[in-house]
Amino acid sequence: MAGTVIGEGLTIEGDISGDEEIVIHGNLRGRLTTTDAVTVGGTAIVGADITGASLSVAGQVTGDVTASERVDIQAGGKLVGDIKAARFTIADGASFKGNVDMEV
Amino acid sequence: MTETSVIGAGTVVSGHVRGQGSLEILGRVEGDVSVTGNVVIGPAGRVRGHVSGAELRISGQVQGDLRGTLAVLLEPGARVAGDISGPRVGIAPGALARGHVQTDGEPALAAARAATPAARPMSPPVRPPLAAAPAAPVKFEAKVPAAPPKFEAKAPAAPPKFEVQAPGKFEAAKAPPVPAKFEAKAPLPPPPKLAPKPEQRRPEPAQRRPEPEPRRPEPEQRRPEPEQRRPEPEQRRPEPARAASAPPQAEFTPVRPIKQEPRRPPPPVVPVISKGTKAKKKKSHD
Repeated sequence: MAGTVIGEGLTIEGDISGDEEIVIHGNLRGRLTTTDAVTVGGTAIVGADITGASLSVAGQVTGDVTASERVDIQAGGKLVGDIKAARFTIADGASFKGNVDMEV
Repeated sequence: MTETSVIGAGTVVSGHVRGQGSLEILGRVEGDVSVTGNVVIGPAGRVRGHVSGAELRISGQVQGDLRGTLAVLLEPGARVAGDISGPRVGIAPGALARGHVQTDGEPALAAARAATPAARPMSPPVRPPLAAAPAAPVKFEAKVPAAPPKFEAKAPAAPPKFEVQAPGKFEAAKAPPVPAKFEAKAPLPPPPKLAPKPEQRRPEPAQRRPEPEPRRPEPEQRRPEPEQRRPEPEQRRPEPARAASAPPQAEFTPVRPIKQEPRRPPPPVVPVISKGTKAKKKKSHD
């Protein structure tokens, strides 16, 4: 189970940091830092820079993303910001705007 | 819709958390928490900020006020520094709380008795009032009417005591001691010149003079001399002497023959230098 879950309807204004998986279905404004996976659900609205091992976006994310492993934008997901990750995928139907740095 | 949110044990949130749904805090939150649902703070959970929700169940640490629209329950191991308010407030044994605790609101009455049967037995040892919290409104009403009659009863009772005690004590205690002091002071100045007065002092000096008594036969010889001087003072002092020392004179007369030694001068000499003069001189020199 995810270590941290931000449910739908919940809003966090501030920084989140940790060393476990974080799942967001609600709203977040600030900064998100973890050493594990980050999942942004379909109902989530995130305005934050995200740092983690991996990122999966099904909702809306605005901010720069740094992932040590991979970043996946699901169908219906929307991401605006620069991405720095070893692997990066954009599903059909996803929205993305920003620079990509795959450390080639 | 109202999904349960979790802040994991390894997660730190620096900021405010608010919204709908329930929240479980196993990690740390540096900021206010305000949700519409229940809030559970686990044993390892720490919150530095105000926490508000429907039912708060605290097992961790909170530095801030707790406000539960339904209830606030402190489980064993909880540590709370802040005000606690809610229709139901339970503090279990082993929970630490510091701050103002207030139970308010009525929805708790029925729910509290049904929902917290287990919490109640635990709370009484910590704070008896808490156990009565749900029933507080009723008890307070009962206590309030009872209190005023007590005050009324006490109020009238108190004044009569003072009136009775005051006059009685003051008259009895102050009146006698004052005259006694005056009598003692009055004889003091005359004693050096008057024989009867030194005798009055003698009972006190007697402590010093267990030995001098045998010598008293001698003082008699000298006494005629002071008496010669005394005619003048006697004219002035017959009144105080008679008033204060009239009875002692009768007693002294037999004593005089016993005193033979010429040490009469010393007793007057000592009083001649009024007490405190040496000290005053020393003080002045100093």
